[in-house]
Amino acid sequence: MNSFKKNLLKKRYNAERRFQWYGKIAIGLALSFLAVFMFQIFSKGYSAFQKTWIVTEVHYDKELLLIDAESPSKDDLENADYYDVAYKAMTSLDPGLPEEEDRQLIQMVSYKYETEVKDLLLKNPDFLGKIVPIKLTASDDVDQVHKGNYPRDIPEKNRRVNDYQLQIYDMLNERGDILSEFNISFFTSPDSREAELAGIASSFMGTVFSILVCLAFSFPIAVLAAIYLEEFAPKNKFTDFIEVNINNLAAVPSIVFGLLGLGVLLAVFNLPRSTPLVGGITLSLMTLPTIIIAARASLKAVPPSIREAALAMGASNMQTTMHHTVPLSMPGTLSGTIIGLAQALGETAPLILIGMVAFVNTIPGTPVDPAASLPVQIYIWSESAERGFVEKVSACIMVLLAFLILMNLAAQIVRHKFEKKWS
Amino acid sequence: MSKIKAENLNVYYGSKQALFDVSIDIAEKEVTALIGPSGCGKSTFLRCLNRMNDVIEICRVEGSIKMDNLELNSRKLDVVRLRENVGMVFQKPNPFPKTIYENVAYGPTIHGIAQSKEEMDQIVEKSLKKAALWNEVKDRLDEIGTGLSGGQQQRLCIARAISVSPEVILMDEPCSALDPIATAQIEELIDDLKKEVTIVIVTHSMSQAARVSQKTGFFHLGKLIEFGPTDKIFKNPDNQQTQDYITGRFG
Repeated sequence: MNSFKKNLLKKRYNAERRFQWYGKIAIGLALSFLAVFMFQIFSKGYSAFQKTWIVTEVHYDKELLLIDAESPSKDDLENADYYDVAYKAMTSLDPGLPEEEDRQLIQMVSYKYETEVKDLLLKNPDFLGKIVPIKLTASDDVDQVHKGNYPRDIPEKNRRVNDYQLQIYDMLNERGDILSEFNISFFTSPDSREAELAGIASSFMGTVFSILVCLAFSFPIAVLAAIYLEEFAPKNKFTDFIEVNINNLAAVPSIVFGLLGLGVLLAVFNLPRSTPLVGGITLSLMTLPTIIIAARASLKAVPPSIREAALAMGASNMQTTMHHTVPLSMPGTLSGTIIGLAQALGETAPLILIGMVAFVNTIPGTPVDPAASLPVQIYIWSESAERGFVEKVSACIMVLLAFLILMNLAAQIVRHKFEKKWS
Repeated sequence: MSKIKAENLNVYYGSKQALFDVSIDIAEKEVTALIGPSGCGKSTFLRCLNRMNDVIEICRVEGSIKMDNLELNSRKLDVVRLRENVGMVFQKPNPFPKTIYENVAYGPTIHGIAQSKEEMDQIVEKSLKKAALWNEVKDRLDEIGTGLSGGQQQRLCIARAISVSPEVILMDEPCSALDPIATAQIEELIDDLKKEVTIVIVTHSMSQAARVSQKTGFFHLGKLIEFGPTDKIFKNPDNQQTQDYITGRFG
């Protein structure tokens, strides 16, 4: 081998090595962006899965509860007056405090503390007349102090937790009366103006209903359209025109679909505002082209030899399509559908336009109840001023990401499990 | 006796003419081989016989093809019935990605041939036996057909084609993707089948045409150059082009 040839060979090997390195660097960059993003979200959001409780003692005093009956019924307990009992439970933390300063203690727990006092007695009627320990949801400010998210060194007048409250907090913390537990209510509660009470239940259910409605509308329409276009429609200018339009539709910004939903579904058809039904239909306009394109691609991928085999056996066009082509294209169609739905899952703009941005503090039971959705919930919380919502935003993103990962995983599994190999 | 009779058949793909005035008389229960260089129109002609050209939108067929006095090149013809009577085996084995049983049972199912499960079982067994595949697959009928070897797949396709008892079977280079042993098995099969079925086979293998067929037609550039008994075509053809082709001087 002469030196020229040797050099050429070396150059070729080097070129390949360089190319591989470019690829590795590109992947490394992508992964590091992802890592930074994930780190941001997780480091901010993980604390939202912890809930802070303040433990104190409550005296279920019959007199203060205004219960007269000797052996009170469930109704008596239900209708009793818990205001004083609950109030006393908190003020007993510092008996020396002058009465006009009591609010400072009350502010350390959520405004729903009276309900919590009531619920404990309803659950355990035999506590009546006794002094028992009770867990009360800490206010979001105390919660943030406990999680270390609240700087204590800023001047008192700029702080929502004053020096006195910090002092009480430190005392309780030393006594072990500040508890941190897994935040179940984040998953079971609807949205709230109070960060310590706000949960994702309403937006999660809103998202689930929207996606189901979206699936119910877009999948059958898209699959039928794809089958007709791919297997039956003549190939001419008109079908080319339709194809161009479908591809265009896939690229239309989602906010435009939101306007369409607003103008047609709400204004013309008078469907209920802020509901997953309208949200789902609006989203299905977006997923429709995605599914059509995926379904057509997977129909095209069925080898023509299978169609020929069926036709040559005397199957009609319809039988060939339904018995062979469509079943064989299903894995691709389904994974395309799931990916389309995953896109719809993260859509915010169209839902805001059709009113799913409304403050909803009930959990929707049907697709026609008002609801938010996860991405809109992220948007709502990120607009809120309270410090307590910062971690909620990240936690909500984590839930959304988990949802997305699950769906994409499902798409992968569907593709691999049901894919058939031909000859 | 004549089974299929084509007269002045012209086929166009768009503006390109693929067959020129082809007239041929295919005898019943014989093997007719069609030979010729690639692109000469053999397959196009074959696909006219079960109207598979319908699938190609730009394809236009003119002229007459009669099978038992039934005009095949007619809009009124029921292609589903025709294809029940005229089976086809393709160049590349194309079993459905379903079980072996389902592959063979598909035709009888859609044409409503079997009345009961037992009858269907019999049809499947009979077809697989005729295709000389039964002994190899009888214990694994529920396995996927595409998992068989190439030769077995092609025999499965033949079993599928004969499951509806067609009168004619068209074979489009059925052995071109197979090894010599599988080829020999298929050729033996063709020899057996011709007792009951009329077979038209397109082949690139001169020796195969000589071995399996009784009549041979030589196509060139869309024209049927010569058609006659296989012996005569191979030993003493009338046409110089045929002579050149079978002796390997061109094509």
